[in-house]
Amino acid sequence: MNFNISLYFLSLYFILSVFSIVSCTPESCREETEILAGATFYKTGTGKISAPDTLTFLGIGNEDSLLYNKALKISVIYIPLDMNKDTCRFALTINKESDTLTFIYSTYPHLISKECGYAFFHYLYECRFTKNILDTIIIRNPVVTNKNEENIRIFF
Amino acid sequence: MAAVAQEKDTILFPLKIRIGADVFGPGYYLADKNTFAVEGFLSADRNSTISYALDAGYNKFSYSQYNYEYNSSGLFMRLGLDFNIISPSTSKGRYFAGAGLKYGISLYTHETPLFNDENYWGSSTGSIEKSTKLAHFIEASPGIRTELFSNFSIGWSIRLKLLISAGTGKDLKPVYIPGYGNGTKSFSPGINYYLIWSIPYKEKQIIK
Repeated sequence: MNFNISLYFLSLYFILSVFSIVSCTPESCREETEILAGATFYKTGTGKISAPDTLTFLGIGNEDSLLYNKALKISVIYIPLDMNKDTCRFALTINKESDTLTFIYSTYPHLISKECGYAFFHYLYECRFTKNILDTIIIRNPVVTNKNEENIRIFF
Repeated sequence: MAAVAQEKDTILFPLKIRIGADVFGPGYYLADKNTFAVEGFLSADRNSTISYALDAGYNKFSYSQYNYEYNSSGLFMRLGLDFNIISPSTSKGRYFAGAGLKYGISLYTHETPLFNDENYWGSSTGSIEKSTKLAHFIEASPGIRTELFSNFSIGWSIRLKLLISAGTGKDLKPVYIPGYGNGTKSFSPGINYYLIWSIPYKEKQIIK
């Protein structure tokens, strides 16, 4: 009978302990939720990463909001794509010379986590660009996610 | 004389069929109306240590937060063995301390009626239509059961579940899999508290 009662109270103790731990576990979004295409600048000829002296970058159609405004010596930029369209255009100014970039892509939903919810990922098909200062653009990784990976390489 | 000695060294162990109903799920529903869970189990002793066990249940889950709504519901089943580590002479078919090892499947339907996302270009809303999926998982379930009255027991089990497959692609994982839990995680813990009715079906002579 003692064994019976001990087991009973032991079981109650365990279940209440576990329940209290589970109940107190906070739920908050800890993952990255911004979906951005990572672009790294390279110097044509050398093939080495190179940061432009100054860089301005904005979405065409959203000129009121600059993504980068005369940023000094940055070698990586992160580009948000328009979730409601399958193309979007950007103006890139490097050392006072400007070019236009056009991204062509598809968009699909992805569940990041229960706490963070859904985001739209992209698959890059093509990047068209003018060649005032830019030389080549290579799509290194076409899948644009929340991992801040290098998706494209911009040679200038 | 030898027969008497042998009789003293053996016990009659009652092999039982058990039917259990979980009260943790309905109790949890009182605190969280988003998760409705009913489940029970049927087990039959193979011998004094091992039982065949079948769990089955139904879960309905709904969740809503600032950027999405989600619904999931379905039936699940777990099949496996329970191992009792208490010696037969102590347990006498009335006490259990041990663990279950089971394979689980969940047939569920889920949908995302609304979600939204925002970035530099503005916001976008979407929805994911209802679809039916089959998930697979394995489970270890340590626990304790004790008999309170004749053939009536209570007991709890902690459920430690590993997801084998959610039945979906990597982009649209289920937020909740009935019988498993959070479908975005490969490990999911759970707990059950059972009321159990036992039916002795055979007595087996066991050496102490």
